[in-house]
Amino acid sequence: MASVRIANVWKYYGKTVAVKDLNIDCPDGQFLSVLGPSGCGKSSTLRMLAGLEHISAGDIYFGERRVNDLPPKARDIAMVFENYALYPHKTVFENIANPLRLRGTDGATIERKVRAAAKMLEIEHLLDRKPVELSGGQKQRTAIGRAIVREPQLFLFDEPIAHLDAKLRAHMRGELKLMQRRLGTTMIYVTHDQLEAMSMADRIAVMHEGVLQQFGTPQEIYNQPVNEWVAGFVGEPPMNFLDVEVVDEDGRLCLVHPGFRVAVTAAQQALLRQRLSGREARMGIRPDEVRIATATFPGALEARVRVSEPLGGDMLVDAELAGSRLLVKTRPDFTGGMGAPCWVAFDVERWHLFEKPSGVAYF
Amino acid sequence: MSEEAPRQDLVRRRSLADAWWSLVAIAVAMLFFFPIYWAVSTSLRRPADTFTVSGVGIPWVHFTPTLDNWLLEMSQPESFRAFTNSTVISLSAVTIALLLGLPAAYALARFKFFRVPNKDITVWFLSQRVLPPVATAVPFFIAFSTLELLDTRLALIVCTATFILPFVVVIVRQTFFDLPIELEEAALVDGASYLSAFLRVAVPLAMPAIAAAALIMFAFSWNEYLFAVILTIKGAATMPVHIAGGADTRGVQFWFVAVRSLIAMIPPVLLALLAQRYIVRGLTLGAVKG
Repeated sequence: MASVRIANVWKYYGKTVAVKDLNIDCPDGQFLSVLGPSGCGKSSTLRMLAGLEHISAGDIYFGERRVNDLPPKARDIAMVFENYALYPHKTVFENIANPLRLRGTDGATIERKVRAAAKMLEIEHLLDRKPVELSGGQKQRTAIGRAIVREPQLFLFDEPIAHLDAKLRAHMRGELKLMQRRLGTTMIYVTHDQLEAMSMADRIAVMHEGVLQQFGTPQEIYNQPVNEWVAGFVGEPPMNFLDVEVVDEDGRLCLVHPGFRVAVTAAQQALLRQRLSGREARMGIRPDEVRIATATFPGALEARVRVSEPLGGDMLVDAELAGSRLLVKTRPDFTGGMGAPCWVAFDVERWHLFEKPSGVAYF
Repeated sequence: MSEEAPRQDLVRRRSLADAWWSLVAIAVAMLFFFPIYWAVSTSLRRPADTFTVSGVGIPWVHFTPTLDNWLLEMSQPESFRAFTNSTVISLSAVTIALLLGLPAAYALARFKFFRVPNKDITVWFLSQRVLPPVATAVPFFIAFSTLELLDTRLALIVCTATFILPFVVVIVRQTFFDLPIELEEAALVDGASYLSAFLRVAVPLAMPAIAAAALIMFAFSWNEYLFAVILTIKGAATMPVHIAGGADTRGVQFWFVAVRSLIAMIPPVLLALLAQRYIVRGLTLGAVKG
């Protein structure tokens, strides 16, 4: 077991910068997810942790030990690759046994450990097969088996369930989380899927264009995004953004949009007074924090339904508010049809305001 | 019914096309096999019958076959020596080329060289095959003469190995390049050194290409004549030299040439059959990698 510390790490490929001055601290035994779109530097980060990629600048520590110059085999890690990377010429048993064989473990111990790992992953009946005879889910379990069999001090998972079908992916999220908690091994899990990160991780590091945007618990990332990019990346369906002006009306700050003029709360006003840099700003509100109805109610703003999408348990309404699009998640009994008028109201406690053009959050 | 008709028509047309192409294939095959057939036929005739048989020389029909040429050839120690020389030289040269070429191919596929870029090194290897081999004949002769290695197997082994090395480098480099690098990375993380990732993961997976390259190199070594005739006199003479030795002051002894050619064909054919299995098995393995 080990904690992981990434200190001022940079990664260049020629002149391209893949990772910029990255700092992450992952305590021992935690499940850390590195989240970001493709090309954000998350995989480079993982590969530097594994020792597969040279660190251009900065240091990586496992516990107190600086590992920059250690080859992969000396780092006591296990990695699961996006395409599983199973050895096609070996059986499932030999694939799982490989890390033990390479370390000269005796035959009886190998047999026992491989069987135990296979049992935990429910692939005992597949041990004699070759990877070509396995389904995607079985390949993935085999790859995980190969990772856990050696009981390493650190797991590195690179989008391990990205290629499974949706149902199996949902199942594996729970399984992986359970497995990590049971083994208690520090896990660094790279994904572009915010749902995976949110549902499994203790901490999430959100990366974009090589820069760490935000590092925090899933709740912090979701509820207090530090900038517009994080706010838009995390959450499904994505957050709505509206261009607004911040106007002082007799000492009370209001957000003004062609479709509305709403005062901020006292707490938000206090935050704004400290930092407000200009009139222009971006208001953000999540689809499930907008109230929508087919009849007017106190404080409601008039909008129009563009299209509504029933999702079974919920209804997703794509509405238009004075020229701006507004996505609203509501109850499935919402009846507004295409083009019908509707009334919306924001949960002002829950909305966000971002500086323009930097995108940094005011609140 | 009306829907069935065109399909039947299509089937008939296809089987006609198949028949036509089969005929073409048979014709081409006959063209290729004729010299071999002629060698078999000649080897079974008495020397006097070489040019006197009628028709296409079908045994028992156009002449009475005899094994005299074969028995005589087998009883000559030179024949046995030439066969042994060829076998030892070809296998040794292929082994040396593989030992040197596989790591070179792997290095070119997986590592980046800065002083001389990978591409230049690869092209340099290729250029060895562009050079007319005879251009190196005199230097090789002088070198081996100085080392007192003329008419030794070692000279031919070294010389042939340098000629065939580019095959393995160029062919297998591409295969290594196409292997998913994650497999070797997984091995590194699992606890393998770079050498063992190469030997235990990359080499087994590149086996089809390695087998193909080895086969090409073996055929090249086995058939190499120019340097064999320049660097040997008798002791290290190979099969091609021995076959050419069928021509002497009395003219070409076609019956011996035929027997020796047929004997010389056996090892490459056996090896090809053996390697074919490997190549096919390798291809099915390769299908897994995605």
